[in-house]
Amino acid sequence: MKRVLARTVYMVIVLVLSSIAVFYAIRLSGGDAVAARVPASASAEEREAVREQLGLNDPFHEQYFDYMGRLFTGDLGNSLTNNADIGKLLTDHGRNSLILGVAAFVLVFGVGIPLGMLASLRRNSWWDGGIMTFSVAGMAVPNFWLALLAVWLFASVLGWLPSAGCCGPKQLVLPAVVLAMEGMALTVRMTRSAMLENLNQDFVRTLRSGGLSESKVIGRHVFRNALVPIVSLAGLRIGQIVGYALVVETIFGWPGLGQVLVNAVLRRDYPVAQFFSLVLITIVLLSNWLADVGYTVVNPRLRRT
Amino acid sequence: MTENGVNRPVTAPLLSIDGLRTMVSSRRESFDVVRGLSLDIYPNEVLCLVGESGCGKSITALSIMRLLPTPPVRVREGEIRFRGEDLLSLSGKRMRNIRADSISMIFQDPLTSLDPVFTVGDVIVEVIRAHRDMSKEEARSLAGDALAKVGLPDPISQLDSYPHQLSGGMRQRVMIAMALVLDPDILIADEPTTALDVTVQAQILDQLVKEQRERHMAMLLITHDLAVVAAVADRVAVMYAGEIVEQAPVDELFEDPRHPYTQGLLRALPKVSTTRRRLDPIPGLVPSLQMMPPGCAFAPRCPHALDRCWTEQPELATDRDGRVFRCFNPQPFAG
Ligand SMILES: Nc1ncnc2c1ncn2[C@@H]1O[C@H](COP(=O)(O)OP(=O)(O)OP(=O)(O)O)[C@@H](O)[C@H]1O
Ligand code: SF4
Ligand SMILES: [Mg+2]
Repeated sequence: MKRVLARTVYMVIVLVLSSIAVFYAIRLSGGDAVAARVPASASAEEREAVREQLGLNDPFHEQYFDYMGRLFTGDLGNSLTNNADIGKLLTDHGRNSLILGVAAFVLVFGVGIPLGMLASLRRNSWWDGGIMTFSVAGMAVPNFWLALLAVWLFASVLGWLPSAGCCGPKQLVLPAVVLAMEGMALTVRMTRSAMLENLNQDFVRTLRSGGLSESKVIGRHVFRNALVPIVSLAGLRIGQIVGYALVVETIFGWPGLGQVLVNAVLRRDYPVAQFFSLVLITIVLLSNWLADVGYTVVNPRLRRT
Repeated sequence: MTENGVNRPVTAPLLSIDGLRTMVSSRRESFDVVRGLSLDIYPNEVLCLVGESGCGKSITALSIMRLLPTPPVRVREGEIRFRGEDLLSLSGKRMRNIRADSISMIFQDPLTSLDPVFTVGDVIVEVIRAHRDMSKEEARSLAGDALAKVGLPDPISQLDSYPHQLSGGMRQRVMIAMALVLDPDILIADEPTTALDVTVQAQILDQLVKEQRERHMAMLLITHDLAVVAAVADRVAVMYAGEIVEQAPVDELFEDPRHPYTQGLLRALPKVSTTRRRLDPIPGLVPSLQMMPPGCAFAPRCPHALDRCWTEQPELATDRDGRVFRCFNPQPFAG
């Protein structure tokens, strides 16, 4: 349990540091943040007035504590461009992102792990060859390219699926698959090698010598051992999903958090950009923390006595 | 257990290996590592199997358990009879029923031999329930008894230990408990103390012998250590290059070894310091199993080799004194 506590403290520290970094980075481009509010024809005085009003002239640390203080009281502020309530943006788009994220998560682990197991159990068969080819391709193809290819094939040529939109099952398929592809490919590969490695361990022979059935030996023991490295990298996979969501949501016009963030950055809508950067960072850090805790659970060797 | 003068066990064997040939076959190579081995295990005896590293002891044991690493290793020929059945032709399911219940095995390295992510209690319970119709609770209490019996301190709470939380000696006790929990007829122990600290080796060996005595089970003990053989064996089988070259009751073997290889092993013994009692190399090369010479496998190292030894295979035979060995030209042992 000590380990979990240490990871929690570590996560909080990283969260604070990265919030400062995000805050600072957005401030660096602050000169133009005003542009979102004022017409292009505005004079230098008018711009300065807006800067003053937004508090952009205060010392950095004051701005930071001021902002954090307001976050904790639930005052998330409004968009500079359309005055939209940031809290409402979060709930609306958050829901969409959650749908997409969960779909991708299920593909990465719910499909990746069984495929990897199948490949390992049918080693050197056509199954194995096919699955591993798919996995290599999934890792090699950049996801924006895959997105374009998928749209071209399934939307334009075959017309089976819509190329963009939200938020029914049909619209979900392409973005979810594109988002999950690389993580799924990596999970397949990792599961296969972890299974094969553990199948060769001495303990497998011991379990067989105890008269356990193959389904127990492989499905329970080998699998539980193979899960250790998979879970240890689950945080990385989830972080990847969050990062790619920026690209994928934009390409497929999926109105999620990533899309909000990308648009906000493009429009220099700094309160929105700042807040959603923090949200995404928090999600990534939280999922890493969860994966760490999960790793401690699946790997008893980390637990002392 | 011995008949006057002839010194052969009189009961029927519990397990009979007959003409076992086990081969390694991969795309690159294919050769026999066990070459027509025959060996009987009698009820209630400790039979030691000795021989140099690589001669096929573990492969023989794993052939009995049908736990060979296949591919590349598999049985090519032979029979292993146990209770009127040939183990080698049993269905997978029947064989699983025999493992742990009738024939158990423990292995050299107790750390790698235990599943690291399950508690020892979980695994023992699983083994019990694979064979007995028992509730988890009943099985758990049986598992606790088994741990207590092999001398593990605080056995009930050790049920919830993971292997990494136990010392090497304790792990091997867990292995023994797991192997014996269902009271098998035969225990195969493949160098059960080699991986342990010298200080606990004797304790573990004592535990094994104690269990063997109390349970009246047969034990096939594979070892390198001739001092261990002298201390615990009833009978000894000496293996060389995939074959049994001599087998005898332990006293006969140490007093009057017949096969030149056995003689070499015993002769090498007193010459080394008392702390090193492993089998010491006898001068000369072991023929490679990939290219066995047509004659006696020991010929290249044998001080008594005749011409026919290079062309003709001696058979494992019983001589006038009732001694069993494989040699054309046995000479009296000059220790
Ligand atoms: N998995 C394997 N693949 C290929 N060859 C093997 C394999 N396992 C064993 N062998 C071969 O079988 C022969 C017999 O091996 P075995 O493990 O039975 O020896 P051993 O008598 O138990 O030796 P040791 O005393 O070192 O344990 C060895 O010479 C080895 O080359
Ligand atoms: S058969 Fe010949 S070579 Fe083989 S052990 Fe006997 S004397 Fe030596
Ligand atoms: Mg061995």
